[in-house]
Amino acid sequence: MPQSLTLIAKPESLTPVTEFVRKGAHEANLPELHMRQLELMIEEILVNIWRYSYPEGAPGTIEVTYSVPRPGEMEIEVADQGVAFDPLKADPPDLTLDLAQRPVGGLGILLLKSFARSLKYRRQLGWNRLSFGISANP
Amino acid sequence: MTIDRTQIEGKVVLHVAGRMDAESAVQFEAQCDSCISEGISSLVIDLGDLSYVSSMGLRSFVTIAKKLKSKGGELRICRLTGFARQVFELTRLNQVFPTYESVESALLGG
Repeated sequence: MPQSLTLIAKPESLTPVTEFVRKGAHEANLPELHMRQLELMIEEILVNIWRYSYPEGAPGTIEVTYSVPRPGEMEIEVADQGVAFDPLKADPPDLTLDLAQRPVGGLGILLLKSFARSLKYRRQLGWNRLSFGISANP
Repeated sequence: MTIDRTQIEGKVVLHVAGRMDAESAVQFEAQCDSCISEGISSLVIDLGDLSYVSSMGLRSFVTIAKKLKSKGGELRICRLTGFARQVFELTRLNQVFPTYESVESALLGG
């Protein structure tokens, strides 16, 4: 059965959201490495929400839902009601640049795309909905 | 996250352990800035016990490395392992910073 958590999108929400999805990861019996990957994906999504979806210092709501379809797998959706923002449309970073040319940021989406299975964005009735799966199964 | 500073033959090694996320990356950057303000131009960062790092942590590494380079020095990382190694490899930052297998080899450089 899906589990949901609704919170205010602000940096202090990172810890409770991480603890919430960890419960699902334990339920799914995810190995340690996949647990860290899941935590990173959640952090990258939340950072994007409080940076881009709710700018101007007016935090809004985030809703995190997970389900465990079978052992070793989780499905997660993170939703917010901020401005429409599709992180999947961001330009990929140029990883061949040296230190002088490298921008300091822009690596979060790359990591998210690297670890997530079936990453999808949709805008629905004023909500940004980003869903993804994580699987430890072959 | 904990950061332990040691000085070996005039060189500073920061041993970073635990989780470097959006919150704790600030702490790491502040510690590095404090070293830079003392006139230190090269830092060895021992990541052997870093269990987690996100893009906010990576941002701090790149920021500090750029500052050190502008002072004629560099940021060296060593003992990358597990999840942190995976993150540095995926972003190819292990090719941007001089990367070593041990603190001793990082101190020697080259």
